[in-house]
Amino acid sequence: MSFTSKLSLKKGLTRSLLLATALCAVTPAVSFAETILNVAQRDDPQNLDPIDTFRLSWGSIGSNVFEGLVFRGEDLELAPGLATGWEFLDDETRIRFTLREGVTFHNGEPFNADAVKYTFDRLLGEQGEQGPQRSNYTSIKEVVVVDPFTVDFLMERPDPVLITKLAGYGAMIVPPKYIEEVGEEAFDMKPVGTGPFMVDAYTPTVNVELTKNDAYWNGDAQVDGVNIRFIAEDATRMAELLSGGVDIALNIPTPSVDTVRESDRVDLVAVDGPTVVITRFNTAKGITADPRVRKAITMAIDTNAIIEAILGGLASPISSAQGTKSFGNDATLTPYAYDPEGAKALLKEAGIAPGTEISLDFSGNDDTFREVAQVIAAYLDMVGLKLNVTPHERSVYTNDIIANGKTGEMYHFGWGGWTFDFDNTAYLLYRSGERFNPYIEDSELDALLDKQRATYDTDVRRQALQDVAGYAYDTALDLPLYNLSTLYGVSTSVKGFVPAPDDRARYMSVTVEE
Amino acid sequence: MPILRFLIQRLLQAVLVTIAVTLFVAFAIRLTGDPAIMMTAQSSSVTEADLDRIREALGLNQSFIKQYFDFVRNILSGDLGESFFRGSVRDLIALALPSTLLLAVASMVVSIALSIPLGIYAAVHKGGAADQIIRVLSLVGLSFPNFWLGIMLVLMFSITFPILPASGFSSWQSILLPATTIGIILTATNVRLVRTQMLETLSSQYVMVARAKGLSEKTVIYKHALRNAAISIVTFLGLQFGNLIGGLVIIELVFNWPGMGTLSIEAIAQRDYPLLQATVSILAIMIVAVNLAVDLVYGLIDPRIRVA
Repeated sequence: MSFTSKLSLKKGLTRSLLLATALCAVTPAVSFAETILNVAQRDDPQNLDPIDTFRLSWGSIGSNVFEGLVFRGEDLELAPGLATGWEFLDDETRIRFTLREGVTFHNGEPFNADAVKYTFDRLLGEQGEQGPQRSNYTSIKEVVVVDPFTVDFLMERPDPVLITKLAGYGAMIVPPKYIEEVGEEAFDMKPVGTGPFMVDAYTPTVNVELTKNDAYWNGDAQVDGVNIRFIAEDATRMAELLSGGVDIALNIPTPSVDTVRESDRVDLVAVDGPTVVITRFNTAKGITADPRVRKAITMAIDTNAIIEAILGGLASPISSAQGTKSFGNDATLTPYAYDPEGAKALLKEAGIAPGTEISLDFSGNDDTFREVAQVIAAYLDMVGLKLNVTPHERSVYTNDIIANGKTGEMYHFGWGGWTFDFDNTAYLLYRSGERFNPYIEDSELDALLDKQRATYDTDVRRQALQDVAGYAYDTALDLPLYNLSTLYGVSTSVKGFVPAPDDRARYMSVTVEE
Repeated sequence: MPILRFLIQRLLQAVLVTIAVTLFVAFAIRLTGDPAIMMTAQSSSVTEADLDRIREALGLNQSFIKQYFDFVRNILSGDLGESFFRGSVRDLIALALPSTLLLAVASMVVSIALSIPLGIYAAVHKGGAADQIIRVLSLVGLSFPNFWLGIMLVLMFSITFPILPASGFSSWQSILLPATTIGIILTATNVRLVRTQMLETLSSQYVMVARAKGLSEKTVIYKHALRNAAISIVTFLGLQFGNLIGGLVIIELVFNWPGMGTLSIEAIAQRDYPLLQATVSILAIMIVAVNLAVDLVYGLIDPRIRVA
């Protein structure tokens, strides 16, 4: 045993040293007339297969490589993508898609009804079961090929968000022949789609290199290639942006906003994002079981001041757990006004003695929220509540503290569904038995939430979702804090970049001046 | 053959340490989080049945003993198994290990190249101005957090004077800043050690004899004193290697260096058990191997140890 380990260690060492020398010898060979757009994003999606990941970091790569039947661009409007149109048949149990003709995958394979059927058979079958995307598409019973350019989606149950969901992530159309030829593992590393860029090389933890797809059906990319680097450390990503190492940086951290604003060679581009930050209340026990206490806490905190002072103004106030772009947002609902005197009165009415201690749990890797939590503590102190803030490791926080209902009176919750449909957030916050809802069991909320999931009628849905938001507002189920902006740092030499609210940045129309 | 017995003993020790470390890591990480939940943490429509399906596909429904033995079997066969999220663990490590080793060796070289001449100079001119300056600088160096020094170097050489890349590993220049950062931090300790060891040997009797024989100062210092001081210096460098690997995790993050530290941190965040177990085991094996190498190097430096 010791002998084998010694041998393999030695072999491994020699090999690694050889590799190290080889790596040293590689110098960037991009000195031709090619224009390459250099991008930095925080996370490596770790797997490029659309059905294997749930990360926003995949969205800003995948949206350049893949396409779905439906297209949703930066304006968040749904438009024809690989399907030219769709209609609801048989009492809305069947959706018929007419497919675009003359589209080919990067490997030359034709796009047709078989590819669509293969994509969804794979997603809903054995391969999909190993990944996180399948659960979003289980409303589809089966995809049936009608003719080479027509498919029918037979529905298991109504899914009003399906058309939106067909524009991203798990529903990206993949090439059947290519996957069968190279195998699933090779597809994870070098996938093929129909989009404006092709994956040239993916090096885990380092970068992904995209090259222009000359055969793209919908125009031409303006740059010859995109080099997307993964830089986890915020300060390092900022250093690359400011030193000109990258042309566009995603995930600009709040503390760096001023640095980016002050730089002459970089612009800060902000757009309302999907992510809302709220703190939830323990409505089951403790003093926050009393709605008057919850309302008092909501009134005691000046969210506008938090937005200005800590977030550099790059967030918007919210009245429910959604931003203004979200389907189901009620514009007539205004956030509770800052009223410390009113809060004190309400607390007195509820019989809460000044100096009562409560606690707030949050995920400790969120530095911005750590500051926000301290400000909340200061505001609550002014109305006589002493707030203890307790950070947790991220995984422990979601898997144990929230899921098992071990939180204090308040706990942090940040969420952003790329669909911008309140169903996404509301269902898991308010529906009984959902894993992010340890405390609320309310038949009225359940009925509203189930009603909007059972129909494709947008007016009925919008009303039901607005009712949910109104109900949560009236009973102060949560303390809505703010809707974060999605921030990009863009070099002044870059033209034509349109910021995507949902982080699904697309680089097709971008040009770089030397 | 005492040297052979010694080697076998050390190898057995290495195997034991590795088993203990992997067993502990494999056990502890399973207590802290469920990869199936991590994987779907951003999904709004996951049911318990979906989670069970994922767990089954990842082999998480098997007993801990079975999972651990599968991992050991994989390691022994040289195939490190499959990561939960991102394909072959061996491919990921083949990419990360060389760059970590390269950075570790480069930083050690920087540190040795700086600390040995500086340490000798300080010892020979003990109490002089140069000695004082070297000691104060080393104290300053000891007080730096390594990531701060890294960020300052980036600020100076990538942003204010853009002559070196700020991060990544794309050309040979990329290694200069991270290796210098760790090299400087290590030098702060090493220069003190070299100085003390040299002072000790320089005041010993054989050095006096060597001087009395009329040997040149150069021969006295480099052939007699330095060689005797080298034993403790090498021991210390060996021990330092463990710390160095730990410190690399942070420096790799600061310079976005695609190494083992970055890989293990991602594996922890995702609760990617197979990847984490493999990276930790390999780091443990590396540290054990370096300690073994240090023991062997003694023999080269000091013939008396070889004979005994």
